[in-house]
Amino acid sequence: MVMTGLGATMVRAGRRLLSSLPALFGVLVFTFLLMRVLPGDPAVFFASGPNAGKEEIEQIRKQMGLNKSVPEQLVFYLSDIGRGNLGRSMMTGQPVLKDLRERLPASLELTLTALLIALIAAVPLGVVAALRPGSIIDHGVRLFCALGVCVPTFVSGLLLIYVFYYLLGLAPDPTGRIDVFTSLPPQRTGFLSIDFLLAGDFEGWWAACKQLVLPAVSMALFVIAPLARITRASMLVSLGSDFVRTARSVGLSWGKVVVTYALRNAILPVITIAGIVFSTMLGANVLVEKVFSWPGVASYALDALLSSDYAPVQGFVLLMASLFVLVNLVVDICYGIADPRVSIG
Amino acid sequence: MRFVSFRSAASVLATTALLSIATAPSQAQTRAETLRYVTGASVNTLDPNIPGSTRESFALSMSTYDRLVAFGRKQLNGKWVFDLDTITGELAESYDVSPDGLKLTFRLRKDAKFQDGSPVTAEDVKWSLDRCVTAPILGKAQLLTGSLTSADQFKVIDPLTIEVTLPKPDKLALPNLATVYPMIINSKVAKAHATPDDPWATAWLKEHTAGSGAYVVENFKPGEQVILKRDENWNRGSANKPAFFKRVIVQSVPEPATRANLVERGDADLVVDLQASDVQSLEAKGKLKVISTPQYNAITYVSMNNQLPPFDNVNVRRAIAYALPYDDMFKAALFGRGAPLFGATWPDGNPLNGIYPFQQPVKMDLDKAREYLKAAGLPEGFSTTFSFNVGQSSTAEPMAALVKESLAKIGIKVDIQKLPDAQMSTQINEKKLPFFTEGIVAWLPSTDYFYRNFYTGTQRWNYSSINNPELAAIAQEARFEPDKAKYEAAGRKLNAMHFDLMPQIMLWQPNQDAVMAPSIEGYTYEFHRQVDYRDVSRK
Repeated sequence: MVMTGLGATMVRAGRRLLSSLPALFGVLVFTFLLMRVLPGDPAVFFASGPNAGKEEIEQIRKQMGLNKSVPEQLVFYLSDIGRGNLGRSMMTGQPVLKDLRERLPASLELTLTALLIALIAAVPLGVVAALRPGSIIDHGVRLFCALGVCVPTFVSGLLLIYVFYYLLGLAPDPTGRIDVFTSLPPQRTGFLSIDFLLAGDFEGWWAACKQLVLPAVSMALFVIAPLARITRASMLVSLGSDFVRTARSVGLSWGKVVVTYALRNAILPVITIAGIVFSTMLGANVLVEKVFSWPGVASYALDALLSSDYAPVQGFVLLMASLFVLVNLVVDICYGIADPRVSIG
Repeated sequence: MRFVSFRSAASVLATTALLSIATAPSQAQTRAETLRYVTGASVNTLDPNIPGSTRESFALSMSTYDRLVAFGRKQLNGKWVFDLDTITGELAESYDVSPDGLKLTFRLRKDAKFQDGSPVTAEDVKWSLDRCVTAPILGKAQLLTGSLTSADQFKVIDPLTIEVTLPKPDKLALPNLATVYPMIINSKVAKAHATPDDPWATAWLKEHTAGSGAYVVENFKPGEQVILKRDENWNRGSANKPAFFKRVIVQSVPEPATRANLVERGDADLVVDLQASDVQSLEAKGKLKVISTPQYNAITYVSMNNQLPPFDNVNVRRAIAYALPYDDMFKAALFGRGAPLFGATWPDGNPLNGIYPFQQPVKMDLDKAREYLKAAGLPEGFSTTFSFNVGQSSTAEPMAALVKESLAKIGIKVDIQKLPDAQMSTQINEKKLPFFTEGIVAWLPSTDYFYRNFYTGTQRWNYSSINNPELAAIAQEARFEPDKAKYEAAGRKLNAMHFDLMPQIMLWQPNQDAVMAPSIEGYTYEFHRQVDYRDVSRK
């Protein structure tokens, strides 16, 4: 029974993935065209040596394949993608696939940590606020959420750096994932906090975690608000419903009523929002990445966009679209776990 | 939020010890021998010749490769700057220039070795210079400015002697060989990685080095950091010793405020690209060493397109020149950190000398500006756009606001346009922008070079799109003028024409503000405007 349920879920998940392919293809073509429509010629930008003239510009144009017509470029691009080649970045001089492969774990590690911190803080806050609506606690939570949303992530990031690094000296210097003097563990997952553990290097693990705390907290602060608000709202609905009243009246313990009955029923919208928040965070954490010199994909894409470096921007959008599809799928599967009546289809 | 948990207190101590000199003397040794240099830019190739390479890549190549010759250094107002007029040997032990100026002969150092241990020979030099003028790389356009255009010009005399022949006695031939591009590559190693499609091994050299420079690349993460290790056998420094620092870490830190924090806390040793406001506050605190050098080979302009109406009218350009609030702009954009190129007094109405760039005798004078507008037939003013690129917004944004405010007073309505960098360079290249601010830099700053490259032709760097045959002819002639007095006269003439035609308005030369730990010594302003890691040491 369990096996068939799991098998059916897998089949449905596979079907969902297949049906997302046309959307991904659309994103691919759209980004490709958009980049070419945008004003700004990357060849001119990159031919910026003190003596670079027409010849250098032509040279770069040829190198980037821009000397061909747009439909031709698109065909070449699609056939490259088919072979798993995302092109080469002018900015870093590396294949885009290699850049993304190195940078994606950094972004994922940061975003997942931030989301985890946010959920750990937001769900209890929301529950507490819902249990005593209108109380001083409720107002306190509302104030905290409002503050978190008002302060842009780069401001909170800079503030955290100022206090914990500059004034108190508690945090390590905010320059990337690991202090430059620490040697890196052998790369397995790309997640430093996991790789260090696998290598048994606890000192390195601690160093990596310390680097992670400030950027993750400044990102988490920003997303606690929507998560806590949605938890509160759906908890209120759930607490006021008939089944909670019945549970209370039959004398179930307070904990059982709140956690097992009310929260489990209230968690669906929170999962939905968490999925959306995660996808947005991945793309939107560019400011945090910049402030903390975090070598992630978002700052990479922004730099590429400013210099009209086509291949990295296209690669980034494709990556984000694929991640979005995956995250949605994971969210749907989580639904199934939270509420067995829901199934993905 | 606490960062120290009870369990890991010991490991925290161990980690902080690496960073802090005071708490762990045994570790301090390695930290003191390491230079940690932070920058907003990043290294994207190990061969600076690759089209698209960044300034930081230029600086890196100075330490990983040697050239035949190098620029000396001199003191300018008490600060060390590179000296275009003193050319010393680097791989060359000595060099001769023939009396007619057509032959340069270089004798190589007998003890010079590549980083793989093989000796540097004249064959390697020839291959490297041939590559620079033949391969489709950046060196080609640079060496052209020194009349070095063909592989036939480089001849191996014996394994330690190479001869360079020139078609004309060109003053810039020798200095060109000291610039970034004509680096000397280990030809045997490079050839082993060449392919029929890529005979000059450009793809391989982008990711690898094969040079004789002071530093070996230990770890290269494009866009993030480069770690360099000293080559103990390198002896091309001034004292025939290897470079001072055993290790150099070049790290990209995009956020300027973070760079300022790092250097202030002593975690970074040196930074050259802070925001003017941060430099000012760090200087005021007095804990760090701040060396500010006007970038005497760079200029910031307010440029007007001389081919587009209404700026094709000289009186409109003059009106703008007298309507800009120079002092306020200088303070708002740079906090006064730089050398102004406005507000001179010319007692007899003639240029003071033949050197470019020079201070022009312009200052804000709205009445005069209105008169010029009237003379141009536009007493009511006109509308235009003023553009700058996003990358420069910290200085250009306050400046643009002041330009708009001031020009409104004489009836010129200005729309401010902030363009992404690539879009701005494209529009400049296509000569579509009427009115904008931009900067230039010249590696080999001589008067004729500036006028030839920035005031003639249709290429991108002629921002004002000026097309004046007389000016072009004088500049072209001055290039090969051996007589110093005649060269000076030509320079004066060109400067007088600049003031008269006012193709664009020179604003200032921004400072290079190098902020460093008090223990760092020897910092020199280099032609590529980055740090040459070989210059610096720790006392």
